[in-house]
Amino acid sequence: MKSMVLTIRQLSSMKNIVASLSFLLFFSTMAFSQASLPPLAKSPMDMSYYPANYPVLKIQDKIPEPVAVRVIYSRPKKEGRPIFGGLVEYGKLWRLGANEATEIEFYKNVSIGDKKISKGRYTLYAIVNEKTWTFILNRDTDTWGSFKYDSTKDIVRVEVPIQQQPTSAESLTMSFEKSATGCNLAIFWETIKVALPIIF
Amino acid sequence: MKAVNYVIPVLLLICLHSCKEKPKEPIAEKKFVTADTTGALPEEMGTNTYAAVDISPMDMSYFPVDYPKLKMANDSIEPPLVRVIYSRPHLQKRRLFTSILKYEEPWRLGANESTEIDFFKAVTIQGKKVNAGRYIIYCIPHPDKWTVILNSNIDTWGLKQDAKKDIQKFDIPSTSNNPLLEYFTMIFEKTSSGTDLVMAWDDVVAKLPIEF
Repeated sequence: MKSMVLTIRQLSSMKNIVASLSFLLFFSTMAFSQASLPPLAKSPMDMSYYPANYPVLKIQDKIPEPVAVRVIYSRPKKEGRPIFGGLVEYGKLWRLGANEATEIEFYKNVSIGDKKISKGRYTLYAIVNEKTWTFILNRDTDTWGSFKYDSTKDIVRVEVPIQQQPTSAESLTMSFEKSATGCNLAIFWETIKVALPIIF
Repeated sequence: MKAVNYVIPVLLLICLHSCKEKPKEPIAEKKFVTADTTGALPEEMGTNTYAAVDISPMDMSYFPVDYPKLKMANDSIEPPLVRVIYSRPHLQKRRLFTSILKYEEPWRLGANESTEIDFFKAVTIQGKKVNAGRYIIYCIPHPDKWTVILNSNIDTWGLKQDAKKDIQKFDIPSTSNNPLLEYFTMIFEKTSSGTDLVMAWDDVVAKLPIEF
């Protein structure tokens, strides 16, 4: 019985250790935070090039072809939520990411869905449906989300079919794939893949 | 019986100890991992087969500050003036000038890709004119000042600078003993003649004055 009491005491001292550890942790976190500077984005930004990994290949002198396109987007996570038809509602405009609107830049003139596109920066949106996505290329750049979307600034709209994938992507992912006529902007999230053909 | 009573606290101790340690995760193959990009990996790093979420996430700052949000609120806003796109390495219990950077050695001002700065109109920095356009920006830190360099070799990875393509160099003072920052941070602050590009990490802050 005596030894049982000892155990309880030990347990209670263990609790104190845990408490003081959390206390320390709390204050070390405080020390790192600074009100005036921006915190890390919950959906971090990322950038993809075509050719894929162009910046790395460039310093290795292994560039397979001139840089053609890049996309800058933010990467929200699924976090257990239903995405398509859920978080991203069918039939509604989506910024294809989070935070700032998704930016696509063409380093040379390209074609998308028979439309000639001059080189430069554009905003890319999508309307997601069950079987297809409609991509919208718009010339209003440096904007937030899709809240101020102005259809008079649309350059082209293209509808592409979805492709079901065997695995689920937790974070929204964009990358470029080589195609016979240029490249595809491939977008993955949940178990959906969509590929937007870019011709050059 | 006595022995059993001691087993419980011992087990608890082991539990407590293992809680303090970060779970060991498989390290995804990563090209060019250097001091400013190492550390514990975010949960999805090894499992996203398309493109892993980066340990040093990218971020973007505009001047005017929060331009995309301002634009959302104001249809007739003037175009933005500057923006910077950079990656945000974090300290992870290291100190900036003891284990991450070395004085007198070029640093990409971030991680991964070279840090990119877009001037949407011509600006003046320390009396020198800088044309509108896209540049990469890197620095050479010294103990009490940084040399900040604009270079025309854009769309490149940050580990190798081509000094032949340097456009302008600016020496700016740096201060230490500022509040500690876990993540490298670049932001614009409004000044009377334009904006300062604030570069802050650990307790070090350097500011590049940009005039419009």
